[in-house]
Amino acid sequence: MASYVVSVDIGGTFTDFIVVDEDGSVAYFKDLTDPEKPDRVVVSNLSRYKGSIKEVLHATTIATNALLGQEKLELPRTALITTKGFTDVIEIGRQNRPRIYDLFFKKPKPLIPRELRFGVSERTMPSGDVATPIDPGEIMDLADRLRSLDVVSVAVSLLHSYANPSNERTAGSILSKVFRYVSLSHEVANEPREYERTSTTVINAVLMPIVSSYLDRLGRSLKDLGCGSFYIMSSAGGLVDVDEACRRPIQLIESGPAAGVIAVAEFSKLIGVANSISFDMGGTTAKAGTVIDGVVEVTSEYEVGGESHHGRIVKGSGYPVRFPFVDLAEVSAGGGTVIWRDDAGALRVGPFSAGSDPGPMCYGRGGARPTITDANLLLGRIGSRLAGGFKLDRGLAERGLSMLGDPVDVAINAVDLINIEMSRAIRLVTVERGYDPGNFVLVAYGGAGPQHAVELAIELGLSRVIIPPAPGVFTSYGMLLADWRFEARESFSKDLDSSFRRLEEMLASRVGGGCYFIRYADVRYAGQGWELTVSVPRDADLDLVRRVFEEKHRAVYGFTFDSDIEVVTVRVYCVVSRVKPRLGVFYQSSGSSVSSYGSREAFIAGEWVRARLYRRDDLPTGTSIQGPAIIEEYSSTTIVPEGWVARVGGLGELDIVEVGGA
Amino acid sequence: MVGWEVIHKASVFIAEEMGVALKRSAFSPNIRERMDHSCAIVDRSGRIVAQAEHIPVHLGSFRVGVENTLKWIEREGVELFEGDVIILNDPYIAGTHLNDVMVLTPIFYRGKLAGYAVNKAHHVDVGGPQPGSINPSARSIYEEGVIVPPVKLYSRGELARDVLRFFVENSKTPRITLGDLNAQIAANSMGVSRVRELFDRYGLKKVLEGWESSIEYARRSVAMELSSWPQGVYEAVDYLEWGDDLLDIRVRLEIRGSGIHIDFTGSSPQVEAPLNAVFGVTFSACSFSVRSVIGGDIPTNEGFYSAIDVHAPQGSIVNPVKPAPVSGGNLETSQRIADAVLLALAKAIPHRVPAQGSGTMMNVMMGGIDSQGSYWAYYETIGGGSGARPNGDGVSGVHVNMTNTLNTPIEIAERSYPILFSEYRIRYGSGGSGRFRGGDGIVRSFKALSRLRLSILADRFRIGPRGLAGGGSGATGSVTIVKRDGSRISMPSKFTIDLDPGDLVVIETPGGGGYGSTS
Repeated sequence: MASYVVSVDIGGTFTDFIVVDEDGSVAYFKDLTDPEKPDRVVVSNLSRYKGSIKEVLHATTIATNALLGQEKLELPRTALITTKGFTDVIEIGRQNRPRIYDLFFKKPKPLIPRELRFGVSERTMPSGDVATPIDPGEIMDLADRLRSLDVVSVAVSLLHSYANPSNERTAGSILSKVFRYVSLSHEVANEPREYERTSTTVINAVLMPIVSSYLDRLGRSLKDLGCGSFYIMSSAGGLVDVDEACRRPIQLIESGPAAGVIAVAEFSKLIGVANSISFDMGGTTAKAGTVIDGVVEVTSEYEVGGESHHGRIVKGSGYPVRFPFVDLAEVSAGGGTVIWRDDAGALRVGPFSAGSDPGPMCYGRGGARPTITDANLLLGRIGSRLAGGFKLDRGLAERGLSMLGDPVDVAINAVDLINIEMSRAIRLVTVERGYDPGNFVLVAYGGAGPQHAVELAIELGLSRVIIPPAPGVFTSYGMLLADWRFEARESFSKDLDSSFRRLEEMLASRVGGGCYFIRYADVRYAGQGWELTVSVPRDADLDLVRRVFEEKHRAVYGFTFDSDIEVVTVRVYCVVSRVKPRLGVFYQSSGSSVSSYGSREAFIAGEWVRARLYRRDDLPTGTSIQGPAIIEEYSSTTIVPEGWVARVGGLGELDIVEVGGA
Repeated sequence: MVGWEVIHKASVFIAEEMGVALKRSAFSPNIRERMDHSCAIVDRSGRIVAQAEHIPVHLGSFRVGVENTLKWIEREGVELFEGDVIILNDPYIAGTHLNDVMVLTPIFYRGKLAGYAVNKAHHVDVGGPQPGSINPSARSIYEEGVIVPPVKLYSRGELARDVLRFFVENSKTPRITLGDLNAQIAANSMGVSRVRELFDRYGLKKVLEGWESSIEYARRSVAMELSSWPQGVYEAVDYLEWGDDLLDIRVRLEIRGSGIHIDFTGSSPQVEAPLNAVFGVTFSACSFSVRSVIGGDIPTNEGFYSAIDVHAPQGSIVNPVKPAPVSGGNLETSQRIADAVLLALAKAIPHRVPAQGSGTMMNVMMGGIDSQGSYWAYYETIGGGSGARPNGDGVSGVHVNMTNTLNTPIEIAERSYPILFSEYRIRYGSGGSGRFRGGDGIVRSFKALSRLRLSILADRFRIGPRGLAGGGSGATGSVTIVKRDGSRISMPSKFTIDLDPGDLVVIETPGGGGYGSTS
């Protein structure tokens, strides 16, 4: 009997599936997402594999959608318990406003209203000394009160609990007797900074009931299909089990995009690339992340529901979550991004998008504003016939662009503008970390990524671009290649090695052995308020940590200081290697034709050229194609400028390198 | 073929990227976490082409600062070479206060001056008698901190070590000063190389033309908006508290065609107190107010600035002459200038202007000697209520007008300084009444754990933020010190005091004004 490994990525519009058979053969397909019952689409599409599914790997947007008030998910009634005098910390935030020149600005509304926030008498000092022990009687009374208020989930965040969690633990053990869902701040985000830790804990508490019931339901349905093992993609870039996902559901935020970067990291390893930039461009947004020496770069600075500015989240515009996230810069740039002219006559692209409905004007579905896809069509960069025989209307695209001026000039400048927007976002991700983007390989996917990838590379001074096979479902591919990964952390450790060992023992007992550990430390110079995360070798003493830290500090900031270092947080990832499904030729190349099926005029990399046209499915391994060329496939188009050569690699990837002027 | 929009966007990104680099490498939380810094690309004639500012007070002061600095350089006959870096903090040139250190790096392209990369960042301490160099008792600028006129920190790529040592050693926190200064220099060099790349890629001529169009574009955007406003003259007056006196800020604002003329004639003469706002700050507060009421995303460049014409009489509180002390000018006075200008604008276009917000940054400065014998200094600001809007309530616990800096987390402050917080909460009911309520202020209370010196520079302790259209005023601010023996001292809005271990400080910030009458 066949035994399939399935990966499922539920996105906003589509649910993507990849099904891998034991012999490595691969099938992939898409279905529309059902926002109200996302699991139903999963079950209906997998029922045909009943009895032969070995494992399901899952990325979901349920956590994000619940928080953003999308999809009619009502937030469960949640209470917050803090140190007395500090119940408003989540309302004040960092006291900044997200937009400085907006007199009508709004701060994100606290997820827990004042009447459900309670202060208790207790106090822990920064040293970890308990100045005022918590009173169990007070907590018991409060628990009764919360029950009478129909609270279902409770968040507890006490000052300095990262230094000594004993007061929080006492509260937790009492509350757990009454409530099924209790989130303690030192368990959710064991690090200093009360607003961020409390916010993370509150979000966790709010998500717990939603995520638990969703995963319970899906898990039961999968069990009915005979599938016993079921794992979720975390935003830190590893798979976690259902228990961990329910305990710390905050790690499901950005689960899908994380899978994309993991796909890039793992695919890069397979083809021997150390440093890559993951670039995912779809209909409305483009996301960029980095992989350095095979390791996905993560950040713990994240705000869910935040607005972004030049690819970075505006501080104070959303709810902070302190958890390792795959570090992504996001810009409003996609095929559906609208091109317009403002009142003062400047040509603009975005941030609005025509999305997929009505979509670009050339779709002929009633779109009334020209988009990037219209520009790409008019410039000959994409063909007028898509997969499935869907025809794009060049006349409509031209009419739309003509509203803004000479249609060709408008199209050229619009493509330039969106390329700058995206390339600068990529630059910020690398520059912030002190790297030169020129030393990276760009791996582009998503429906629109391959259209712009090589031009972005030129803009950034990169000389190599990879377009993986089936770029439209590449995110789901990431889950198939991911390992299990569990995280734990501790702050202001008194003895590094014993802290690391304690965290490792705790994690080992969770996963039951068979794992290895990766140690990290968030380090700063004493007095700095911002830490750098560095990887810590085993048996490292403080001197070694200092050397590693200084190396990174020099890389990122360009200098070091002669002063003491301070280890703020130590962090351990426990990695359990998964036996990965054997992937055969992911991408079925049936043909042996190397010749182009035609050519057309196209505006590529700043000039009009006559580009040869190819069908990607026809190209056998080892084929080399000289630019200017356009390589078409189901749901994506790759553009190869003059002076670049695309070679079909052994895994079906297009490996595009600069060869200099023709 | 390349459109000016492409050059424009690329230049804006360079300024942003400089900001990212500066923030990432700075030492002090002021810059790193509170983002009290700004970066800009300036053309050869001193016009701002692209600016990334994270704090409104740097908005217009940058323009004044750059113009003054380039004039100074010309007047003094200083010649600039490739590899030079100029630093300065003289507020009468740089345009804010001593803490804001400006770094200007000329951009040479093929041997010729093509522009400047400029940034400004708030340094935690630049000398003087008080921690944080903001001295509420200063009677002249010489009692605030060390004054650095434009000097070359690098000359043709060579570091002037003596200049560096002199500057750094005047700070009570020399290590942080050095770190921040390094970050500023690095941010500029990155800006310089990015602008050169732009020249390489598109050609010098094309880029300069693009900058021109970008400035023209901003000018056009502002003109279109302003010409749709009701033309005419609108007046307002607001007050700053100094001892038992009130200092007047008088605004006569004229919307005329595509520009705005703001005249401060009749405002109080400069005072022997750090409440004088140098002209750069006054221009900044005007730019902030106009820009906020315009709304939308107007590029911050010369095109925008040129629509605003400000007249502030010399020797007044809004354009003092040396040696008037100025440290609080861009803290408290700037808030009040914005309040007054917004009040005048509310008369012109009532539906676009909310009631007054807290109107004080509630500056808290502390310092002392720690157990290891070294000096520590701590500076922070506390938000208040924002004013109610014509269409809704104000926001509680937030910074308004000219500042937008982050708070210092309690867990970080307690770990770093000998203080213990007992409260940090919304000051319920402090917002002004009305059809829409003003936002509430904040209560922040802490106990001194060792002997320390505390200074407060605040305002709105006597006159609360005003409501609009019949709305009530927001509650006034206050600072109370509860001594160990239980006695309570009610403090004025500006003071310095020594605290003993166990003394409790309770700070309450003002609420915002209400909008519309309740009936």
